[in-house]
Amino acid sequence: MTSSPGIKSIFPVFTILLSVIIHSLPCTAQYVGTSADERMFLLRTKQFNEFLDRFNYKTNFHGEPVDSAFEAQISRERMINFLFDLSDPRFDPSGDDYSAEYVDEIKAFVEDVIQHDRKIFKYSDKILAEARSRVIYKGSPVNISVFMTQEIVDRTKVKWVIKSVSGEVFNFLLTDTMYIRFIPPSSNETDFMNLKRALEDVNYLQYYADKDYEPDYLTLFFYMINSGQMKFEYVEEIIYHITDIPGWYIKVKNFNRGDMNSGWLISDLERFSSGKPGQ
Amino acid sequence: MPIKYVCSIIAFFSVVNLTAQETKTAVTSKEARITDEITLSDQDIEVFKEQTRQKVSEFQQYIVTLGNKEEPAEKRNMAEKEAIKLFYKGAEMEISTVLPDGTVKKLNRPMEKYLARLKALPYTRVVIRFYDIAYIREFTKGPDGKYYSTATIIQEFTGFNEDNIIYKDVTTKDIEIIIDIVEDTFFNEKRWKIFLGDIKASETKTVTT
Repeated sequence: MTSSPGIKSIFPVFTILLSVIIHSLPCTAQYVGTSADERMFLLRTKQFNEFLDRFNYKTNFHGEPVDSAFEAQISRERMINFLFDLSDPRFDPSGDDYSAEYVDEIKAFVEDVIQHDRKIFKYSDKILAEARSRVIYKGSPVNISVFMTQEIVDRTKVKWVIKSVSGEVFNFLLTDTMYIRFIPPSSNETDFMNLKRALEDVNYLQYYADKDYEPDYLTLFFYMINSGQMKFEYVEEIIYHITDIPGWYIKVKNFNRGDMNSGWLISDLERFSSGKPGQ
Repeated sequence: MPIKYVCSIIAFFSVVNLTAQETKTAVTSKEARITDEITLSDQDIEVFKEQTRQKVSEFQQYIVTLGNKEEPAEKRNMAEKEAIKLFYKGAEMEISTVLPDGTVKKLNRPMEKYLARLKALPYTRVVIRFYDIAYIREFTKGPDGKYYSTATIIQEFTGFNEDNIIYKDVTTKDIEIIIDIVEDTFFNEKRWKIFLGDIKASETKTVTT
Protein backbone atom coordinates (compact mmCIF):
# COMPACT_ATOMS: atom_id res chain seq x y z
CA MET A 1 0.00 0.00 0.00
CA THR A 2 1.35 3.42 -0.93
CA SER A 3 1.50 5.98 1.81
CA SER A 4 1.80 9.70 2.30
CA PRO A 5 5.17 10.92 3.62
CA GLY A 6 5.52 9.96 7.29
CA ILE A 7 3.51 12.44 9.33
CA LYS A 8 5.92 11.99 12.20
CA SER A 9 8.75 13.37 10.12
CA ILE A 10 6.77 16.53 9.45
CA PHE A 11 5.73 17.24 13.01
CA PRO A 12 9.02 18.12 14.75
CA VAL A 13 9.45 20.84 12.11
CA PHE A 14 5.88 21.92 12.65
CA THR A 15 6.39 22.12 16.40
CA ILE A 16 9.46 24.34 15.94
CA LEU A 17 7.52 26.47 13.48
CA LEU A 18 4.69 26.84 15.99
CA SER A 19 7.14 27.84 18.66
CA VAL A 20 8.56 30.55 16.38
CA ILE A 21 5.07 31.76 15.57
CA ILE A 22 4.05 31.87 19.20
CA HIS A 23 7.18 33.94 19.88
CA SER A 24 6.39 36.34 17.07
CA LEU A 25 2.76 36.87 18.11
CA PRO A 26 2.25 40.28 19.66
CA CYS A 27 2.44 40.05 23.43
CA THR A 28 -0.50 41.46 25.26
CA ALA A 29 -0.32 42.27 28.94
CA GLN A 30 -1.94 38.91 29.64
CA TYR A 31 0.80 36.89 27.96
CA VAL A 32 3.96 38.61 29.12
CA GLY A 33 5.70 35.44 30.30
CA THR A 34 7.60 33.57 27.61
CA SER A 35 9.49 30.80 29.40
CA ALA A 36 9.69 27.43 27.65
CA ASP A 37 7.10 26.03 30.05
CA GLU A 38 4.75 28.90 29.39
CA ARG A 39 5.03 28.45 25.64
CA MET A 40 4.35 24.76 26.13
CA PHE A 41 1.21 25.45 28.10
CA LEU A 42 0.06 27.96 25.54
CA LEU A 43 0.20 25.30 22.83
CA ARG A 44 -1.23 22.57 25.06
CA THR A 45 -4.93 21.88 24.45
CA LYS A 46 -5.86 22.61 28.04
CA GLN A 47 -9.59 21.90 27.92
CA PHE A 48 -11.78 19.70 25.75
CA ASN A 49 -13.65 22.88 24.83
CA GLU A 50 -10.37 24.32 23.57
CA PHE A 51 -9.86 21.16 21.52
CA LEU A 52 -13.24 21.73 19.84
CA ASP A 53 -12.54 25.41 19.22
CA ARG A 54 -9.15 24.59 17.68
CA PHE A 55 -10.61 21.75 15.62
CA ASN A 56 -13.39 24.05 14.37
CA TYR A 57 -10.74 26.72 13.65
CA LYS A 58 -12.67 29.10 15.86
CA THR A 59 -9.87 30.21 18.17
CA ASN A 60 -6.07 30.51 17.97
CA PHE A 61 -3.55 29.35 20.56
CA HIS A 62 -4.37 32.33 22.78
CA GLY A 63 -8.08 31.43 22.73
CA GLU A 64 -8.81 34.48 20.57
CA PRO A 65 -10.89 34.31 17.37
CA VAL A 66 -8.99 33.08 14.32
CA ASP A 67 -8.31 36.07 12.05
CA SER A 68 -6.69 36.48 8.65
CA ALA A 69 -3.25 37.06 10.20
CA PHE A 70 -3.45 33.73 12.03
CA GLU A 71 -4.86 31.97 8.95
CA ALA A 72 -1.83 33.15 6.98
CA GLN A 73 0.49 31.55 9.55
CA ILE A 74 -1.35 28.36 10.51
CA SER A 75 -3.85 26.77 8.15
CA ARG A 76 -6.77 24.73 9.47
CA GLU A 77 -5.09 21.63 8.05
CA ARG A 78 -2.00 22.25 10.19
CA MET A 79 -4.12 23.08 13.19
CA ILE A 80 -5.98 19.75 12.92
CA ASN A 81 -2.78 17.79 12.32
CA PHE A 82 -1.40 19.23 15.54
CA LEU A 83 -4.49 17.94 17.40
CA PHE A 84 -3.34 14.33 16.92
CA ASP A 85 -1.20 12.56 19.52
CA LEU A 86 2.09 12.81 17.67
CA SER A 87 3.79 10.39 20.05
CA ASP A 88 1.59 7.60 18.71
CA PRO A 89 4.02 4.86 17.58
CA ARG A 90 1.89 4.42 14.46
CA PHE A 91 3.46 7.68 13.17
CA ASP A 92 7.07 6.61 13.60
CA PRO A 93 8.34 5.21 10.27
CA SER A 94 11.37 3.68 11.98
CA GLY A 95 9.35 1.78 14.58
CA ASP A 96 7.70 -1.65 14.43
CA ASP A 97 4.28 -0.17 15.09
CA TYR A 98 4.38 2.26 12.18
CA SER A 99 1.11 2.14 10.25
CA ALA A 100 1.03 3.60 6.75
CA GLU A 101 -2.67 2.78 6.76
CA TYR A 102 -3.34 4.96 9.82
CA VAL A 103 -1.28 7.82 8.38
CA ASP A 104 -3.31 7.62 5.16
CA GLU A 105 -6.58 7.54 7.10
CA ILE A 106 -5.60 10.73 8.88
CA LYS A 107 -4.68 12.38 5.61
CA ALA A 108 -8.07 11.41 4.14
CA PHE A 109 -9.87 12.60 7.29
CA VAL A 110 -8.18 16.01 7.28
CA GLU A 111 -8.89 16.41 3.56
CA ASP A 112 -12.56 15.56 4.15
CA VAL A 113 -12.84 18.03 7.04
CA ILE A 114 -11.17 20.86 5.09
CA GLN A 115 -12.98 20.19 1.82
CA HIS A 116 -16.45 20.12 3.42
CA ASP A 117 -15.63 22.61 6.18
CA ARG A 118 -16.80 20.07 8.75
CA LYS A 119 -17.14 21.15 12.36
CA ILE A 120 -17.91 19.35 15.58
CA PHE A 121 -21.06 20.74 17.18
CA LYS A 122 -20.19 21.56 20.78
CA TYR A 123 -23.46 20.28 22.25
CA SER A 124 -23.80 17.29 19.92
CA ASP A 125 -25.35 14.09 21.23
CA LYS A 126 -22.66 12.42 19.14
CA ILE A 127 -20.06 13.42 21.70
CA LEU A 128 -19.94 10.60 24.22
CA ALA A 129 -17.81 11.16 27.33
CA GLU A 130 -16.57 7.97 28.92
CA ALA A 131 -15.65 8.57 32.56
CA ARG A 132 -13.38 5.68 33.54
CA SER A 133 -14.06 5.55 37.23
CA ARG A 134 -13.06 3.81 40.41
CA VAL A 135 -15.75 2.42 42.66
CA ILE A 136 -15.64 0.32 45.80
CA TYR A 137 -17.72 -2.85 45.49
CA LYS A 138 -17.94 -5.23 48.42
CA GLY A 139 -14.92 -3.53 49.97
CA SER A 140 -12.63 -3.81 46.95
CA PRO A 141 -11.72 -1.20 44.32
CA VAL A 142 -13.22 -1.92 40.91
CA ASN A 143 -13.08 -0.01 37.62
CA ILE A 144 -16.20 0.88 35.66
CA SER A 145 -17.01 3.23 32.78
CA VAL A 146 -19.80 5.78 33.04
CA PHE A 147 -20.92 7.03 29.60
CA MET A 148 -22.29 10.56 29.48
CA THR A 149 -23.81 12.86 26.88
CA GLN A 150 -25.01 16.45 26.81
CA GLU A 151 -28.72 17.12 26.91
CA ILE A 152 -30.24 20.41 25.83
CA VAL A 153 -33.01 21.57 28.16
CA ASP A 154 -35.67 24.10 27.07
CA ARG A 155 -33.55 24.99 24.01
CA THR A 156 -31.23 27.24 26.03
CA LYS A 157 -29.75 25.18 28.81
CA VAL A 158 -27.33 22.27 28.84
CA LYS A 159 -26.52 19.46 31.20
CA TRP A 160 -24.53 16.25 31.11
CA VAL A 161 -26.55 13.08 31.66
CA ILE A 162 -25.59 9.48 32.36
CA LYS A 163 -26.37 7.38 29.32
CA SER A 164 -25.06 3.98 30.38
CA VAL A 165 -22.44 2.16 32.41
CA SER A 166 -20.17 -0.79 31.73
CA GLY A 167 -17.73 -2.90 33.66
CA GLU A 168 -16.94 -6.46 34.59
CA VAL A 169 -18.65 -5.95 37.95
CA PHE A 170 -22.03 -5.84 36.18
CA ASN A 171 -21.41 -9.14 34.36
CA PHE A 172 -22.11 -11.28 37.41
CA LEU A 173 -24.10 -13.95 35.58
CA LEU A 174 -22.20 -16.88 34.09
CA THR A 175 -22.49 -18.70 30.79
CA ASP A 176 -23.21 -22.40 30.71
CA THR A 177 -23.42 -24.50 27.57
CA MET A 178 -23.67 -27.87 29.35
CA TYR A 179 -27.18 -27.77 30.74
CA ILE A 180 -30.44 -26.55 29.29
CA ARG A 181 -32.07 -24.33 31.86
CA PHE A 182 -35.75 -23.54 31.58
CA ILE A 183 -39.08 -23.51 33.35
CA PRO A 184 -41.08 -26.45 31.97
CA PRO A 185 -44.25 -25.89 29.84
CA SER A 186 -46.69 -27.34 32.39
CA SER A 187 -45.34 -25.39 35.36
CA ASN A 188 -48.34 -23.09 35.38
CA GLU A 189 -50.52 -26.01 36.48
CA THR A 190 -48.45 -26.40 39.63
CA ASP A 191 -48.54 -22.68 40.32
CA PHE A 192 -44.92 -22.38 39.17
CA MET A 193 -43.63 -24.31 42.16
CA ASN A 194 -40.28 -24.67 40.36
CA LEU A 195 -39.84 -20.90 40.12
CA LYS A 196 -38.18 -21.08 43.53
CA ARG A 197 -35.73 -23.68 42.21
CA ALA A 198 -34.99 -21.58 39.13
CA LEU A 199 -34.29 -18.49 41.18
CA GLU A 200 -31.96 -20.40 43.42
CA ASP A 201 -29.82 -21.06 40.36
CA VAL A 202 -28.28 -17.65 41.12
CA ASN A 203 -25.41 -17.65 38.62
CA TYR A 204 -27.50 -18.47 35.57
CA LEU A 205 -30.69 -16.45 36.03
CA GLN A 206 -30.58 -15.02 32.51
CA TYR A 207 -31.51 -18.43 31.05
CA TYR A 208 -34.94 -18.13 32.69
CA ALA A 209 -35.63 -14.76 31.08
CA ASP A 210 -37.25 -14.20 27.69
CA LYS A 211 -35.23 -14.33 24.47
CA ASP A 212 -35.11 -10.53 24.14
CA TYR A 213 -33.82 -9.99 27.66
CA GLU A 214 -31.01 -7.46 27.85
CA PRO A 215 -29.59 -6.43 31.20
CA ASP A 216 -30.03 -2.77 32.09
CA TYR A 217 -26.70 -2.00 33.73
CA LEU A 218 -27.60 1.62 34.48
CA THR A 219 -30.54 0.58 36.68
CA LEU A 220 -28.33 -2.02 38.29
CA PHE A 221 -25.66 0.64 38.92
CA PHE A 222 -28.23 3.00 40.49
CA TYR A 223 -29.51 0.17 42.67
CA MET A 224 -26.01 -0.79 43.81
CA ILE A 225 -25.23 2.83 44.68
CA ASN A 226 -28.62 3.33 46.34
CA SER A 227 -28.36 0.18 48.44
CA GLY A 228 -24.81 0.99 49.54
CA GLN A 229 -23.31 -2.08 47.84
CA MET A 230 -21.24 0.19 45.61
CA LYS A 231 -19.56 3.46 46.53
CA PHE A 232 -18.35 5.87 43.88
CA GLU A 233 -14.76 6.99 44.50
CA TYR A 234 -13.58 9.20 41.61
CA VAL A 235 -13.18 9.56 37.87
CA GLU A 236 -9.73 8.40 36.82
CA GLU A 237 -9.76 9.38 33.17
CA ILE A 238 -12.08 10.84 30.54
CA ILE A 239 -12.19 9.60 26.97
CA TYR A 240 -14.39 11.30 24.38
CA HIS A 241 -15.90 9.23 21.58
CA ILE A 242 -17.02 11.55 18.79
CA THR A 243 -19.05 10.61 15.70
CA ASP A 244 -20.22 14.10 14.81
CA ILE A 245 -18.12 14.16 11.62
CA PRO A 246 -20.05 11.96 9.14
CA GLY A 247 -18.22 8.72 8.38
CA TRP A 248 -15.58 9.12 11.09
CA TYR A 249 -15.13 8.04 14.68
CA ILE A 250 -12.67 10.14 16.69
CA LYS A 251 -11.33 9.23 20.10
CA VAL A 252 -9.95 12.10 22.20
CA LYS A 253 -8.07 11.80 25.48
CA ASN A 254 -5.87 13.89 27.71
CA PHE A 255 -2.09 13.49 27.37
CA ASN A 256 -0.57 15.03 30.47
CA ARG A 257 3.09 15.39 29.49
CA GLY A 258 5.71 18.11 29.27
CA ASP A 259 5.43 18.53 25.54
CA MET A 260 3.98 21.13 23.15
CA ASN A 261 1.85 18.35 21.67
CA SER A 262 -0.09 17.61 24.87
CA GLY A 263 -3.44 18.00 26.55
CA TRP A 264 -6.65 16.91 24.77
CA LEU A 265 -5.60 15.17 21.56
CA ILE A 266 -6.95 12.65 19.09
CA SER A 267 -5.66 9.25 20.18
CA ASP A 268 -7.46 7.24 17.54
CA LEU A 269 -9.37 7.70 14.32
CA GLU A 270 -11.54 5.18 12.51
CA ARG A 271 -13.61 5.27 9.39
CA PHE A 272 -17.11 3.92 9.81
CA SER A 273 -20.17 3.50 7.65
CA SER A 274 -23.87 2.89 8.36
CA GLY A 275 -23.56 5.11 11.41
CA LYS A 276 -21.50 2.57 13.33
CA PRO A 277 -17.84 2.95 14.28
CA GLY A 278 -15.50 0.05 13.87
CA GLN A 279 -17.28 -1.40 10.83
CA MET B 1 -9.76 -2.81 22.58
CA PRO B 2 -11.93 -5.48 24.30
CA ILE B 3 -14.80 -6.69 22.08
CA LYS B 4 -17.43 -5.99 24.74
CA TYR B 5 -16.21 -2.41 25.01
CA VAL B 6 -16.29 -1.87 21.25
CA CYS B 7 -19.78 -3.40 21.15
CA SER B 8 -21.10 -1.02 23.78
CA ILE B 9 -19.70 1.98 21.90
CA ILE B 10 -21.14 0.66 18.65
CA ALA B 11 -24.50 0.02 20.29
CA PHE B 12 -24.56 3.53 21.64
CA PHE B 13 -23.71 5.19 18.35
CA SER B 14 -26.13 3.02 16.39
CA VAL B 15 -28.83 4.68 18.50
CA VAL B 16 -27.57 8.24 18.38
CA ASN B 17 -26.92 8.10 14.67
CA LEU B 18 -30.52 7.33 13.80
CA THR B 19 -31.03 11.05 13.27
CA ALA B 20 -27.81 11.54 11.35
CA GLN B 21 -29.56 11.36 7.98
CA GLU B 22 -30.25 15.12 7.89
CA THR B 23 -28.01 17.11 5.60
CA LYS B 24 -25.01 18.62 7.35
CA THR B 25 -25.94 22.14 6.15
CA ALA B 26 -29.38 21.96 7.74
CA VAL B 27 -27.88 20.64 10.92
CA THR B 28 -25.23 23.33 10.95
CA SER B 29 -27.68 26.26 10.84
CA LYS B 30 -29.77 24.60 13.55
CA GLU B 31 -26.64 24.02 15.62
CA ALA B 32 -25.55 27.64 15.20
CA ARG B 33 -28.94 28.83 16.46
CA ILE B 34 -28.79 26.49 19.46
CA THR B 35 -25.24 27.62 20.24
CA ASP B 36 -26.34 31.28 20.13
CA GLU B 37 -29.24 30.57 22.44
CA ILE B 38 -27.25 28.51 24.92
CA THR B 39 -24.25 30.78 25.24
CA LEU B 40 -24.16 34.47 26.08
CA SER B 41 -23.73 37.25 23.55
CA ASP B 42 -20.18 38.23 22.56
CA GLN B 43 -20.51 41.44 24.55
CA ASP B 44 -21.71 39.62 27.69
CA ILE B 45 -18.97 37.02 27.27
CA GLU B 46 -16.27 39.69 27.18
CA VAL B 47 -17.62 41.34 30.35
CA PHE B 48 -17.89 38.02 32.20
CA LYS B 49 -14.53 36.80 30.92
CA GLU B 50 -12.86 39.97 32.17
CA GLN B 51 -14.58 39.61 35.54
CA THR B 52 -13.55 35.95 35.66
CA ARG B 53 -9.94 36.91 34.94
CA GLN B 54 -10.08 39.41 37.80
CA LYS B 55 -11.62 36.83 40.14
CA VAL B 56 -9.04 34.18 39.22
CA SER B 57 -6.25 36.72 39.54
CA GLU B 58 -7.57 37.69 43.00
CA PHE B 59 -7.51 34.01 44.00
CA GLN B 60 -3.96 33.62 42.69
CA GLN B 61 -2.85 36.67 44.69
CA TYR B 62 -4.36 35.21 47.88
CA ILE B 63 -2.61 31.89 47.24
CA VAL B 64 0.74 33.65 46.78
CA THR B 65 0.21 35.62 50.01
CA LEU B 66 -0.92 32.74 52.19
CA GLY B 67 1.87 30.52 50.91
CA ASN B 68 4.54 33.14 51.54
CA LYS B 69 6.05 32.48 54.97
CA GLU B 70 7.79 35.85 54.94
CA GLU B 71 4.45 37.64 55.14
CA PRO B 72 3.04 38.46 58.61
CA ALA B 73 0.69 35.80 60.01
CA GLU B 74 -2.14 38.33 60.19
CA LYS B 75 -1.90 39.10 56.47
CA ARG B 76 -1.77 35.41 55.59
CA ASN B 77 -4.82 34.64 57.74
CA MET B 78 -6.68 37.49 56.06
CA ALA B 79 -5.73 36.13 52.62
CA GLU B 80 -7.09 32.72 53.63
CA LYS B 81 -10.40 34.23 54.76
CA GLU B 82 -10.77 36.38 51.67
CA ALA B 83 -9.89 33.47 49.36
CA ILE B 84 -12.69 31.35 50.84
CA LYS B 85 -15.18 34.14 50.12
CA LEU B 86 -14.48 33.77 46.40
CA PHE B 87 -15.88 30.23 46.38
CA TYR B 88 -19.31 28.76 46.09
CA LYS B 89 -20.32 26.98 49.28
CA GLY B 90 -19.12 23.37 49.32
CA ALA B 91 -16.38 23.83 46.71
CA GLU B 92 -13.68 21.17 46.82
CA MET B 93 -10.14 20.77 45.61
CA GLU B 94 -9.31 17.50 43.84
CA ILE B 95 -5.64 16.66 43.72
CA SER B 96 -4.46 13.88 41.46
CA THR B 97 -1.12 12.19 41.82
CA VAL B 98 0.44 9.76 39.38
CA LEU B 99 1.80 6.80 41.32
CA PRO B 100 5.05 5.03 40.30
CA ASP B 101 3.01 2.19 38.73
CA GLY B 102 1.29 4.71 36.44
CA THR B 103 -2.07 4.65 38.21
CA VAL B 104 -3.66 7.88 39.30
CA LYS B 105 -4.70 8.54 42.87
CA LYS B 106 -7.18 11.30 43.58
CA LEU B 107 -7.94 13.05 46.82
CA ASN B 108 -10.74 15.53 47.47
CA ARG B 109 -10.57 18.17 50.18
CA PRO B 110 -12.96 20.96 51.12
CA MET B 111 -11.48 24.26 49.92
CA GLU B 112 -11.13 25.51 53.51
CA LYS B 113 -8.95 22.52 54.40
CA TYR B 114 -6.86 22.85 51.25
CA LEU B 115 -6.10 26.52 51.98
CA ALA B 116 -5.32 25.78 55.64
CA ARG B 117 -2.86 23.05 54.59
CA LEU B 118 -1.23 25.32 52.05
CA LYS B 119 -0.58 27.83 54.81
CA ALA B 120 1.03 25.18 57.00
CA LEU B 121 3.39 23.49 54.52
CA PRO B 122 6.65 22.22 56.09
CA TYR B 123 9.02 24.43 54.10
CA THR B 124 10.98 27.40 55.42
CA ARG B 125 10.10 29.34 52.26
CA VAL B 126 7.51 28.81 49.56
CA VAL B 127 7.39 30.57 46.19
CA ILE B 128 4.21 30.25 44.16
CA ARG B 129 4.13 31.72 40.68
CA PHE B 130 1.35 31.65 38.11
CA TYR B 131 1.99 31.63 34.38
CA ASP B 132 0.43 34.43 32.38
CA ILE B 133 -1.80 31.95 30.60
CA ALA B 134 -5.41 31.50 31.52
CA TYR B 135 -7.86 29.73 29.27
CA ILE B 136 -11.51 30.47 29.98
CA ARG B 137 -14.14 28.52 28.10
CA GLU B 138 -17.39 30.21 27.10
CA PHE B 139 -20.27 30.41 29.55
CA THR B 140 -23.07 27.89 29.15
CA LYS B 141 -26.41 28.09 30.91
CA GLY B 142 -27.32 25.18 33.18
CA PRO B 143 -30.86 23.93 33.91
CA ASP B 144 -30.81 26.04 37.13
CA GLY B 145 -30.38 29.28 35.13
CA LYS B 146 -26.82 29.87 36.32
CA TYR B 147 -23.98 30.17 33.83
CA TYR B 148 -21.06 27.77 33.98
CA SER B 149 -17.52 27.93 32.65
CA THR B 150 -14.05 26.59 33.46
CA ALA B 151 -10.82 28.57 33.75
CA THR B 152 -7.49 26.79 33.43
CA ILE B 153 -4.42 28.25 35.10
CA ILE B 154 -0.87 26.98 35.52
CA GLN B 155 0.88 27.19 38.90
CA GLU B 156 4.58 26.76 39.59
CA PHE B 157 5.29 25.82 43.21
CA THR B 158 8.75 25.84 44.80
CA GLY B 159 9.39 24.75 48.39
CA PHE B 160 12.69 25.74 50.02
CA ASN B 161 14.52 24.54 53.09
CA GLU B 162 16.71 27.55 53.87
CA ASP B 163 18.14 28.33 50.42
CA ASN B 164 17.77 24.85 48.96
CA ILE B 165 14.91 23.88 46.71
CA ILE B 166 13.51 20.65 48.13
CA TYR B 167 10.35 20.42 46.07
CA LYS B 168 9.16 21.97 42.83
CA ASP B 169 6.18 21.22 40.68
CA VAL B 170 4.05 22.68 37.92
CA THR B 171 0.34 22.10 38.33
CA THR B 172 -2.58 22.69 36.04
CA LYS B 173 -5.67 23.92 37.85
CA ASP B 174 -9.07 23.71 36.20
CA ILE B 175 -11.40 26.00 38.13
CA GLU B 176 -15.16 25.78 37.79
CA ILE B 177 -16.72 29.23 37.33
CA ILE B 178 -20.34 29.87 38.30
CA ILE B 179 -22.28 33.03 37.54
CA ASP B 180 -25.26 33.31 39.84
CA ILE B 181 -27.83 35.97 40.59
CA VAL B 182 -27.41 37.37 44.09
CA GLU B 183 -29.64 39.78 45.91
CA ASP B 184 -28.04 42.98 47.08
CA THR B 185 -30.15 43.89 50.11
CA PHE B 186 -28.48 47.28 50.49
CA PHE B 187 -29.42 48.49 47.01
CA ASN B 188 -32.50 46.19 46.89
CA GLU B 189 -31.53 44.79 43.52
CA LYS B 190 -30.47 41.53 41.93
CA ARG B 191 -27.21 41.24 40.05
CA TRP B 192 -24.95 38.58 38.53
CA LYS B 193 -22.00 37.55 40.65
CA ILE B 194 -19.05 35.34 39.73
CA PHE B 195 -18.04 32.55 42.09
CA LEU B 196 -15.28 30.00 41.91
CA GLY B 197 -16.34 26.36 42.27
CA ASP B 198 -14.55 23.01 42.41
CA ILE B 199 -10.90 22.92 41.38
CA LYS B 200 -9.21 19.99 39.70
CA ALA B 201 -5.46 20.08 40.15
CA SER B 202 -3.23 17.84 38.08
CA GLU B 203 0.49 17.69 38.46
CA THR B 204 2.30 18.16 35.18
CA LYS B 205 5.93 18.27 36.16
CA THR B 206 7.65 17.42 39.44
CA VAL B 207 11.23 18.15 40.43
CA THR B 208 12.20 16.76 43.81
CA THR B 209 15.74 17.28 45.04
